[in-house]
Amino acid sequence: MTTEVSQSFEALEAQAQKLMAVFLKAGHEAVAPAVIQPADVYLDAIGESLRARTYVFTDPDGAELCLRPDLTVPTCRLHIARNGSAPKPARYCYNGPAFRFQPQGADEAHPREFRQAGVERIGDPSREVAEAEIVTLIVKAVEVAGLRDWTLQTGDLGLFRSVLNVVRLPARWQKRLGDAFLKPGAFRAELKRLSQAPRGQRSDLPQELLRSLDPGDPAASEAAVMNFLDTKGIELVGNRTTGEMIEHLLSVLADETADRLDPETALMIDRYASVSGPARTAGDRIAAILKDVKGGPGAALDVYDRRLALLANAGIDLSRVTFSAEFGRTLAYYTGFVFEVSAPGLRADGPIAGGGRYDGLMRAAGANVDIPAVGGAIHTQRLLAAITRDAALVAP
Amino acid sequence: MSRLTLAMPSKGRLMEQTTERFARSGLVVRKVGTDRGYRGEIVGMPTVDVAFISSSEIAAALKSGSVHCGITGEDLVRESMSDAATRVIALAPLGFGHADVVVAVPACWIDVTTVNDLAEISGAFRRVHRRWPRVATKYMNLTRRFFADKGFGDYRIVESLGATEGTPAAGTAELIVDITTTGETLRANSLKILADGVILKSQANLFASNIAAWTPEAINAREALQARLHDPD
Repeated sequence: MTTEVSQSFEALEAQAQKLMAVFLKAGHEAVAPAVIQPADVYLDAIGESLRARTYVFTDPDGAELCLRPDLTVPTCRLHIARNGSAPKPARYCYNGPAFRFQPQGADEAHPREFRQAGVERIGDPSREVAEAEIVTLIVKAVEVAGLRDWTLQTGDLGLFRSVLNVVRLPARWQKRLGDAFLKPGAFRAELKRLSQAPRGQRSDLPQELLRSLDPGDPAASEAAVMNFLDTKGIELVGNRTTGEMIEHLLSVLADETADRLDPETALMIDRYASVSGPARTAGDRIAAILKDVKGGPGAALDVYDRRLALLANAGIDLSRVTFSAEFGRTLAYYTGFVFEVSAPGLRADGPIAGGGRYDGLMRAAGANVDIPAVGGAIHTQRLLAAITRDAALVAP
Repeated sequence: MSRLTLAMPSKGRLMEQTTERFARSGLVVRKVGTDRGYRGEIVGMPTVDVAFISSSEIAAALKSGSVHCGITGEDLVRESMSDAATRVIALAPLGFGHADVVVAVPACWIDVTTVNDLAEISGAFRRVHRRWPRVATKYMNLTRRFFADKGFGDYRIVESLGATEGTPAAGTAELIVDITTTGETLRANSLKILADGVILKSQANLFASNIAAWTPEAINAREALQARLHDPD
């Protein structure tokens, strides 16, 4: 077991001061949220996969707690504790420890305990403006700390949802493909299923009951289900209602009888998901894929172009920026724009910084209204390692 | 420990079955010292020390390498190690202690037959009940790994150390992951197994720890033991 957090603690602290100075100057208030957090909020936002990467424990009172795996959720909770659900916009920054279980064993690049420095902007409605400013701030901070060589990977989960909307996919399938998109492997299987699978896939369900359900008559559907259970001698057990079962059965029925997704639309969605390359040309590629859609790509791509222009205006060298449609879908709680900063040659160690838009998190953290939020954080040990390596390469 | 330490279940049905299974291979296990003691030997195998330990602790002992070999269920080994394949080797399935670790839901969920269905209903469940469906289990790690492999993540685990089958009817969980042999207890509690819900077909096995310190003497003893248990006469 590791006995010290870092062998270069003083260098890390000196570096953190440089990073924090950049954040403070941009109007972010320094905060120190609690290290020990309720596991609940994380489990809600991330799901049970949290337990695979986080130190979750039960305290002597039986409460399920965790050592914070990041500072974003703690900062959201801090904001709610201060303001309730009042839509008061705020800018925060922090520098402090975070903890992650490393299933492959901990090492220098993947420590159990590491220090994160970052920024969160909560309640700012200026979407791509706020996103571009957060990216710029993070890039500026790592440059001030001494990193010369970096690349910026971007993605946009919101753009995927817009594309599904633009190609006029039925709402039911938009939701399903949207969910599947977040799971590697599941997305293309689902797309194939919607476009190619023959009808009658669900022969495992009671067909007669299925056909007797009437979306326009909930009472009759309810009676049909109760009658079915009675006849089979199945007891009604648990909290889930027959209404929920009927709703699900009706959506299955709708799929069984609906037309398949047409191959052209399926191909467009698939081609969009495959877009990956320089950010400057990705917009044109997406526009080309969607050119035959009635009404064209519309507002979705405008947002993409505007964000990129904002980054260029802020002095970000766009030749270092790539875009991948699939990027970011496995990253915890992000809902829209996502980014990662890497140092070439150290890519295998994982990104130096990352962040994005997380519009669902404030609600999971306890707010009773939707509050937009975007942020980014720097893995300070990796940043120090990259800068130290840069210096060694330049030295005669 | 230049000799081989073999951990055997210290009580209950698993202990009896282990002793019987060894006897069928001509291996007589005897306690050393008092009858209440926890140390033993195998007649005719002077380089083997037997340690009687509770079966869940046998998995922990294999994991840390404090014993060379141990007899316990695959379910307990896989549950207690995220990296079981690197820490232990299953040497010989022993033909008893059969139990399937399964996902079971209320039989009245007529719209749910697969894990994919669970993924489809959990969003609606959350909208109605303001929480994710809860899975009661003592196999927290097996459950998490199994559902992660299937791409299902919208659920919450509630740890259950007994009477797990009763939790859906009691309203403290929506579904369960538990062991079953005949399915009788599940049926009695109005539960059904999902079509793709068998996580593990478990039985008792002779495991060897990769972490333990292996001397040539211990390796010889292990090979002798393995040969005898593989070929009951």
